[in-house]
Amino acid sequence: MAKGLVFLSLAILVILPTLQLASGAENEAGQYVQRKVEIWNLFFKMMTIAFTVGAVVSGTLIWLVWRFRESNPKAKPTKYEEKGEW
Amino acid sequence: MVLELQKPRPIWAIMFSTHHTDIGLLYLIMSITFFFLGGALALGIRAELFLPGSQVISDSMTFNRMFTVHGTTLIFLFLLPFASAVGNYFVPIMIRYKDMAYPKLNAVAFWMIPPAGALIWLGFADFTWYATPPYSSIRAPGPAADMWIFGLKILGVSSVLGAINFIVTILKCKHPDLPLSKVPLLAWSFLTSSLIVLVAIPSFAAALVMLLTDRLGVTGFFDPARGGDPIAYQHLFWFTFHPEVYVLVIPAIGMMYEIIPRFSRKPIFSHSSGVFAFVLLSAVSFSSWAHHMYATGMSFTEKTVFMVGTLAAAPASAMHVFNFLATMWGGRLKFTTPMMWSVGGIALFFSAGAGGVANSAMPFDFITHDSYWVVGHFHLFVMGTIAFGSIAYFYYMFPYVTGRMYNEAMGKVHFIMSFVGTVMVFFTQHVLGLYGMPRRVFDYIPLPEYVVMNQIASVGAMIIGASMALWLFNMIYSASKGKEANMDDPWGLGGKYYWPHQAKNPHH
Repeated sequence: MAKGLVFLSLAILVILPTLQLASGAENEAGQYVQRKVEIWNLFFKMMTIAFTVGAVVSGTLIWLVWRFRESNPKAKPTKYEEKGEW
Repeated sequence: MVLELQKPRPIWAIMFSTHHTDIGLLYLIMSITFFFLGGALALGIRAELFLPGSQVISDSMTFNRMFTVHGTTLIFLFLLPFASAVGNYFVPIMIRYKDMAYPKLNAVAFWMIPPAGALIWLGFADFTWYATPPYSSIRAPGPAADMWIFGLKILGVSSVLGAINFIVTILKCKHPDLPLSKVPLLAWSFLTSSLIVLVAIPSFAAALVMLLTDRLGVTGFFDPARGGDPIAYQHLFWFTFHPEVYVLVIPAIGMMYEIIPRFSRKPIFSHSSGVFAFVLLSAVSFSSWAHHMYATGMSFTEKTVFMVGTLAAAPASAMHVFNFLATMWGGRLKFTTPMMWSVGGIALFFSAGAGGVANSAMPFDFITHDSYWVVGHFHLFVMGTIAFGSIAYFYYMFPYVTGRMYNEAMGKVHFIMSFVGTVMVFFTQHVLGLYGMPRRVFDYIPLPEYVVMNQIASVGAMIIGASMALWLFNMIYSASKGKEANMDDPWGLGGKYYWPHQAKNPHH
């Protein structure tokens, strides 16, 4: 459960800034089209966040695949393999 | 093991069986058949959009019919039944029970699907998989539209029966020595997605009856000329079908939870966080349906509520991704075909999720609404995540169903081509949407950007199509002439398995 809470906290930390940016719009009819510049600005900010997080997670995934593949010279049996428990 | 092609059983022995592995096999064969039918329609759609103007489809009505049946088929007749195939086959084994709780009801739930599929395909309706009112309630030509409505009604009942069966099987029939906290995450995924089905489906079931009575002229629920409100249909529809996205994705993630630890040669990093994330996803799946409807004139407050509700899915989804990464960390990864499909599925799941987070911002949603961005986004989920997870599990279960090994080289080529094709089609469609290309169009303005991006998407679709043809060949050839599988350890990994042939129950 503790691990779950850590994961949840980290994920919320990523989401909250996005949420704050996204809630900047108002409700009057017609304003959205006139405020195209602000909308694109918001989009670019959100995409900056998305690409940053995306690069970190995707980079980690690619590194994991490279580093822990069984054909990597540094690969060694996991401790679970010896016991046959997984 | 239920199907050994060297010693075949009579077909009726499988068709009229109520045993869970036989029902699972029937679900599997039927879902893959519909996958190829729905996929063929997708290729037709992409061939038509390769250039502006009419190419291979004669008129826009036929085009509308094709994408309506394409969407309906791949969601209701491929993805859902495929998940049921896996659940039927493996859940009773995982919870150590002889069968599903209600075997006859299980057979009934399966046998409702072929007639529903026949209604959808023989009708070939044209009002999109969403059955857009007021067009669907006033002008969509019958009997196609009525056949679609009846088909979906039958599929809804089948889903509810299946869900009841999974819930009772997991909660009431699991072995007394197996606490819920130890139930494998694949079984947990079926428990949570079945609970979503029970809560979500009635809303659309009501909407279908209302739509039918509107079409019969008895009522005017969704007809503005008769005091009705098409927006009400949107609420009823999305209350069911936004959670339905999770009904599809949760079992696919459950399948990855079986594969990633197995081929990492480690236990799952955190079983409890996986359960927590499944339960959280189930709950928040009901808090975001109206994000499909920002453009319908809701108040700012309503939109904000649904935007926050949508973002609430991100932490739970991220927990799954982090759980997968942490499981792989420190492992010794064997990149066989199921593992490649799973890792590819995780990468695309994350990409699709990131697009969803961006799109949940309502000002941005106004730009992307009904554009190709939306098509790219949800296809990245259904193809890149759900179908990838499902195909991964298909390869994983293949030796246990057929007793033979698939061709590994062909499986890997299948993955690489599908991954490249998926990125080409659906990433490009995101950009196409930002350039303003509307979805559901038969023709488009011959802007150079539109033409080039549509061509990239169409070439990607053809690559996926070729890879799926290779898959079909691999399945048929390997099931009949493939190398005999080592049933104790088909991939030479070691460890403990949940394999059907090892189940001690005399029913297996």
